[in-house]
Amino acid sequence: MYDLDLLEHTDTVNELLARYGVKFGIYKNNEFKEQLFPFDAIPRKIEKKEFDYLEKGLKQRVAALNLFLKDIYSKKEIVKDGIVPKDFIFASSGYMAECEGVTPIKGIYSHISGIDLVQGRDKQWYVLEDNLRVPSGASYPMIARELCRRSSPATFETNKLEDNRNYPKLLRQAMDYVNVGGHTVILTPGRYNAAYFEHSYLSEKTGAHLVTGAELKVEDDKLYYVSYDGKLERVGALYRRISDEYLDPMNFNPQSVIGIPHIFDVFRKGNVALINAPGNGIGDDKGIYYFVPKMIRYYLNEEPVLNNAPTYLPFYEEDMKYVLEHFDNLVLKDVAEAGGYGVVFGNSMTKEEKEKFITLLKKEPRRFIAQEVIDFMDIDILEGNETLPRKADLRAFVLMAEEPVVWKSGLTRFSRNPDSFIVNSSQGGGFKDTWVLSQ
Amino acid sequence: MKQLHFDYYMQITYAGCVSECHYTLKCIPADNIRQRLLGFSMEILPKNKWMEGVDSFGNAMVYGSIEKEQRDFSFHIQGDVEIDIREYETVKDDGEIFVYQYPYGLSTPGEELERFYQSLLGELNAKPDDYEKGVFLMHILYGNFIYEKEVTDVNTTAEEAWKLGKGVCQDYAHILIALCRRAGIPARYVSGMLIGEGYSHAWVEIYCDNHWFALDPTNNLIVEDSHIKIGVGRDAFDCQINRGIVMGGGSQTQNIRVCVEEKTEEIKT
Repeated sequence: MYDLDLLEHTDTVNELLARYGVKFGIYKNNEFKEQLFPFDAIPRKIEKKEFDYLEKGLKQRVAALNLFLKDIYSKKEIVKDGIVPKDFIFASSGYMAECEGVTPIKGIYSHISGIDLVQGRDKQWYVLEDNLRVPSGASYPMIARELCRRSSPATFETNKLEDNRNYPKLLRQAMDYVNVGGHTVILTPGRYNAAYFEHSYLSEKTGAHLVTGAELKVEDDKLYYVSYDGKLERVGALYRRISDEYLDPMNFNPQSVIGIPHIFDVFRKGNVALINAPGNGIGDDKGIYYFVPKMIRYYLNEEPVLNNAPTYLPFYEEDMKYVLEHFDNLVLKDVAEAGGYGVVFGNSMTKEEKEKFITLLKKEPRRFIAQEVIDFMDIDILEGNETLPRKADLRAFVLMAEEPVVWKSGLTRFSRNPDSFIVNSSQGGGFKDTWVLSQ
Repeated sequence: MKQLHFDYYMQITYAGCVSECHYTLKCIPADNIRQRLLGFSMEILPKNKWMEGVDSFGNAMVYGSIEKEQRDFSFHIQGDVEIDIREYETVKDDGEIFVYQYPYGLSTPGEELERFYQSLLGELNAKPDDYEKGVFLMHILYGNFIYEKEVTDVNTTAEEAWKLGKGVCQDYAHILIALCRRAGIPARYVSGMLIGEGYSHAWVEIYCDNHWFALDPTNNLIVEDSHIKIGVGRDAFDCQINRGIVMGGGSQTQNIRVCVEEKTEEIKT
């Protein structure tokens, strides 16, 4: 069924991935464990025409989200015009009042966006989530492709697909575009972070220094890298792989030991670009997700190209009624959670759990969204000599410099459990390369 | 119009040696239509080059890092303000008040405070407007909360203080903020100084009829010209007068001395 030389080399590729330290760290019960991120060699293929469609929709979506973030932290017109209710912004944990009136360099909030999509059985694509804070995952298809090429060059001679080795170049462009003068560096919390492999890999591929908070300091309202000989070298752009909360103990969580004191003050004065900009959490809030199609119409005066999964907001009386009537067919998501946590399927609850949940839902309707369960198209994975169908999603990466650019690849994650729809790597799933066919 | 002279001194002494310290001071009195900052001088020790800025709530900030070894840190600010009680601060844009309408941080209420709020609904709804509601909530809080030092700390939430039934100005302010926001009245925390008080003070501003009105729940009064306003925020943390992190140092003792006096003679001459 799969006439692909590459499949003969699955084990080799996985061994190489292990040797290169392509791991995923997870914290469970307060313990740090590193696990391999299992790679499945059957690529997910996306036809050129189909990808063109996705590309158009993704650019549109990211453009609208950037305009939304800029609006929220300045004029708030979308709220005043009654498109998005105030409650969904200013009571959300993703909104950061500290960012009010602070405009990032060139007005860009989300330089790197990871948009999660799924394809239904009807071949229709749906956006499931927008990740605008510190979306991770690009490094996995990058290195997998590199190792696949090495293990099976023949596969890439016979198949016509888009080269994905341009990610570092696109990332570099996005970072250089907002650099205010000085070095571009990547800030990592260190090797115990879930995505440390990615931090180091992106640093290696882009040529940007990988640094920790202790190597950076603020002086005269500028950010500096302290070199080995003690010299201060100006930093003009910082690709930070730590969340807003830990970025600056003087402005946010005072307990943070991985941040840089006063870095937010430097950002506020426009003396450093932070990638992605602080405050983005409001753009990838699950409650705000519902409003993205409305944002596209509002800011761009265009019809959305990509669909959301049909979503209901119990906040609206009408939607609450629908949710209660169709509870068993829906998946409910806590807007404050991420990484596959806080997601429950109506039909998997016991009667007691359901009652308890509904009480909570009625008490805090803003906290949840409900979605129709999309019957994803299965894609094959290889298990021994057999192929088995599994649920999978796609994280597409959109990089923003002067214009948004969609990387012609992406991270395809699949659930290893045949009954599960949750594909997050933190929940033990695997990944595939994503081939965008060039003809 | 009244002119007030202020003098604010704070010193932190460490048991051991501090190798590195970072500080942000939001200690400069506000300068607005109601309260004009006529002038001030400031000193920070150990001497260092500080930076200046304005945060998202409009508070002036002075901040910096000291990398030499030190045993104590202090700052001293003194100056004059002029208060015109006929004027009230307002907003240029309605968007500015959105952040003061929702539960946040230390001003977040819980079940007990909600129960208290519910018990007030009858009387509250009989009030003609938000201003009267705010004043009513202040009176009620004053009558149901005891002023007592050292039972709460800087991290105590409105709910925790309410359950305890006692606390200091910060706690009064957080509870009143929680109640006002619950009643749909935008409310914010104010840090400042008060004539006759040797320490920093805190109170509340509520937004009604396009104006910010200041209420002092600790003293159960409507703020006029005895208070000098420094900073504002959603809760005390947003406008902490002094925030710092240090490496080393061990235990620390903080000493604050505040003096606010009316300047009568000068106006006459």
